[in-house]
Amino acid sequence: MKIVTTQPVIVLKGLKKRYGIGDAEQTVLDGINLKIHRGEFIAIMGPSGCGKTTLLNILGLLDHADEGEYLLDGRSVDTLSNSRRARIRSEQIGFVFQSFNLIPRLNVIDNVALPLTYKGVSKTKRLMEASKMLSTFHLSNREYYMPWQLSGGQSQRVAIARALVNNPSIILADEPTGNLDSRSSHVIMEELSDIHQRGNTIIMVTHNPNLTSYASRVITMLDGKIASDTLTPRGKKTNIPSKRRLDERRKRSKSSKTKRQKEDK
Amino acid sequence: MRRPLVLYHLGCAYESLRANRSRTILTVLGITIGIASIIIILSLSTGAARIIKEQVSDLGGAVAVVRPGTTTDKPHIDSLTATLAGSQTASHLTEYDLEDIESIDGVTAAAPLMIIGGDVTAGKNTPEKVSIIATTPKLPDVTHLPLGEGQFLDEVTSDQTAVIGAQLAIDLFGTERVAGRTFHTHGQVFTVIGILKRQNKPINYNNIDFDHAAIISLESGKRFNQNIASIQQINIRANSHEQLPDIIKKIEDELTQNHFGEKDFTILAGDDLARPTNELFAAVGATLTVVAGISLVVGGIGVMNIMLVGVAERTREIGIRKALGASNSNIVWQFLLESLVMSLAGGMLGYGLGYLTAFAIARTFLPFNPVFSWEIVGAAFGTALTVGLVFGLYPAIRAARKDPIVALRNYH
Repeated sequence: MKIVTTQPVIVLKGLKKRYGIGDAEQTVLDGINLKIHRGEFIAIMGPSGCGKTTLLNILGLLDHADEGEYLLDGRSVDTLSNSRRARIRSEQIGFVFQSFNLIPRLNVIDNVALPLTYKGVSKTKRLMEASKMLSTFHLSNREYYMPWQLSGGQSQRVAIARALVNNPSIILADEPTGNLDSRSSHVIMEELSDIHQRGNTIIMVTHNPNLTSYASRVITMLDGKIASDTLTPRGKKTNIPSKRRLDERRKRSKSSKTKRQKEDK
Repeated sequence: MRRPLVLYHLGCAYESLRANRSRTILTVLGITIGIASIIIILSLSTGAARIIKEQVSDLGGAVAVVRPGTTTDKPHIDSLTATLAGSQTASHLTEYDLEDIESIDGVTAAAPLMIIGGDVTAGKNTPEKVSIIATTPKLPDVTHLPLGEGQFLDEVTSDQTAVIGAQLAIDLFGTERVAGRTFHTHGQVFTVIGILKRQNKPINYNNIDFDHAAIISLESGKRFNQNIASIQQINIRANSHEQLPDIIKKIEDELTQNHFGEKDFTILAGDDLARPTNELFAAVGATLTVVAGISLVVGGIGVMNIMLVGVAERTREIGIRKALGASNSNIVWQFLLESLVMSLAGGMLGYGLGYLTAFAIARTFLPFNPVFSWEIVGAAFGTALTVGLVFGLYPAIRAARKDPIVALRNYH
């Protein structure tokens, strides 16, 4: 599959969102225009109520915009049916939440495998994938722990593993370190940064200005509008790592695996 | 095409039902009781209805019965209020009809049944539930009446003698060995010359419980009725099953002629013999099933209630699942399968419990066994499935309609 890196992964044109009716009507997003390219790590900053989370929900297809256009991978997603949107969520979007949102009844590996379930992957295969993903986060020995047996930092790493397991085009993180102490925050940000280095697109909402140092681009929002949009030094330096690199790496590991299997035979 | 997630949802359902064990058990119990009562009623009422069919086939199927009055095909529920066919019509069947029937080719035997009211007394004992039946010595040829002791009525001994049922013997004399003892009825003395074996078949096509019957000759019976024979039923046995339809036709012609061209009688054969009784049982069964159905509805409401609680409790989980790519139908199926698992488990348990109870009841109180049939199995699981579907659908749809943003926001 050829990936066209020149095409932006997300295009927003004049996006508007209002809540409430009549006197209580409140414009949360007021004409957002935005292009996000593959491989960017975007930090969205701004005071409470400026519309960051709403923007993230719309990007993640959990919410509808009232006006404007949203192109994901060049396709308009405004008119899609609920089931199509669910499918896009399962195939192209990974969520990381402030409160981790692991399902308490499921153990770690089942939580990580959950997105694959809705993608229709067979049980054995999805457990294998989940296990592989957990090992990259050094959580292999926690596979059969229940969520309540994990620390905050571990929970968030599990949640990130879950967001990545279906190999999404974009990862949406809503204050991923909001519930963590500074040390765990650092670990999580290192993980996200690492994921970014491997070619993933990350959009992160945060309150913490310190975290913007990890991002390649910082967007500040105010009253439903984009107030500033700047590339960080890191963004200028790395110059959009292409996803191709990651795919090539995967291909390499796959071919070496098949080689190994052949040798085994 | 995506892989169906039924197995995955079943696993989920199992986990979540296990997590809330006690409330699952209580909910399943509601369904179990509903299904069990339906099973009890269906198996017993079919069991009762089957008795007569078996009696008819025991006799080789070559049996027909003439009854006064006409029967029509009624809807089942009517037979609850209607009397048993013809029992309140004045009987137009006479000895002459009987003689004519006997003379028809192919009729092996024909016996009248004249049922007489009144008490039977021996010493100080006047048992209840006694039927006095006046008939001819031919009756054992038509109806299976094994003797325990003594002999049946015959041409020689017919006057002032009686053959009595085993239970009547005990009620009158305190023992079954009563040959030669006497009892009073209608101011006359009868000598017992034979005792019937215990049959334990209160339900039969004669509508007579022979265990409680005193059988006397038609001549004696007529004497109680101002010398007029008023015959409620003529039992006929044909020499073969194949000829029965022809013979019935002949009897019909003959009797219609006797009755001035008016067909004021009914001839029943084969399965029709059992029909009036069966209709009654079916009607009673249907009514009881409706009542049992109400308990099932209550059980179903329990399922819905618990599912709604479950949906509310797991709002956040629903939000997470939707954010991770679950479609609305995924969520519907997850919750629907949970309620289906509960109702089907209830169906299975109810099926077992129902049969055990039916057997216990039948063994203790009833002269017949409950019936196992695929129809009943189907009915049990069909209703269980329907209940799960009907009462699980609304909570499941409600779960699927939850807005993921609200679901994720409100339940921190």
